[in-house]
Amino acid sequence: MRHSKSPQQIVQQKLALDAYLSTLLDEVPEAVPADEAPQKKSVEPVVQRVVVTQPLVQPLQNELVAFEKPAKLNPLSVMPDWAQHEFQALFFKVDHLILATPLIDLSRTIKIDRKPGKIPGQPSWFLGLLDEHDSRIGVLDTGQLIFGKLRGSQRDLEAKPFKCILITQDKRWGLACDEILSIGKLKPDKVRWRTCRQKKPWLIGTVIEELTAIIDLQELVPHRKRNS
Amino acid sequence: MSDDKKQSDPIMQWVTFCLGDEKYGINVMQVQEVLRITEIAPVPGAPSYVLGIINLRGNVVTVIDTRNRFGLSSKEPDDASRVVIIETERHIIGILVDSVAEVVEMRVSEIETAPNVGNEESSKYIQGVTSRDNKLLILVDLNKFLSEDEKAELDMF
Repeated sequence: MRHSKSPQQIVQQKLALDAYLSTLLDEVPEAVPADEAPQKKSVEPVVQRVVVTQPLVQPLQNELVAFEKPAKLNPLSVMPDWAQHEFQALFFKVDHLILATPLIDLSRTIKIDRKPGKIPGQPSWFLGLLDEHDSRIGVLDTGQLIFGKLRGSQRDLEAKPFKCILITQDKRWGLACDEILSIGKLKPDKVRWRTCRQKKPWLIGTVIEELTAIIDLQELVPHRKRNS
Repeated sequence: MSDDKKQSDPIMQWVTFCLGDEKYGINVMQVQEVLRITEIAPVPGAPSYVLGIINLRGNVVTVIDTRNRFGLSSKEPDDASRVVIIETERHIIGILVDSVAEVVEMRVSEIETAPNVGNEESSKYIQGVTSRDNKLLILVDLNKFLSEDEKAELDMF
């Protein structure tokens, strides 16, 4: 069946098409032109949104950077000079604990053949003074310094006295210990270094394989308030 | 030694006494006499470092437990124990010691300052240290042996 379009129908379709197109055209001028003020209004919010989103992104990036920094930081950069290369360490024993300390911080070791002279009024970890050759050494109870006063002071020094002393490089301090074990070479990459040493600053790292604590004597010995 | 050096580095005499394994020295000029142990009358309510009082020719003298003062364990007095009567700035007191050894001479330059690793107050009466016969000699400043508060407290006995 063939339908022929009447002129009225055609006019109506044309009107409809015009109306549709004009609607489309009406919408376009608001979005496209750049020079007219109303169009700026419609663009600006978009730009503003972008601006607003930037701070949201930036803190995240900053956080990421801040988070990554410690991981990227070379632990050796905050360590003493001796830790930068392979170093010799002396392994010694206090109670049942094996410890290590860089040889460079020591002048010598001695066996205790007499009691240090106890000075009244000093803390219990200060065992006293010992004249050794040309120097007067302040002998320290390494157990108390490392294990803390509570655990360290439980040791009965009369019944179980320390047997050896590690004397510091400046010959001012001696660390009493039970046994001197050996001297070994340590490579920096075999040590887990403690980069943050706010607590227990004397514990500078751990030998990864043997799980032996490395003691930084410079941080363990007290700083004399007098006669310094 | 020249006269100038003698003046700048004078010789001092020290009475030495023992407490436990340690030897101490006090300025001989402040030692009045050394007594064998006599009866020491306890004083009720006295601080732990005060052993009690003695009658010294009509004068009441407070005797200090030096072992307690120096943080040493207590020990029963024996034949070697002595009460050293000393003169501090304002007081005459007795200090009980394990034994009195000798009088030694030394130059001021021989005295080293003792290290102080504790608080200043706890060992301020330690004037210094030196060596005698390969042994440490700890020199005590008797004027700082008791604090001002403690000296005031002694007046009440």
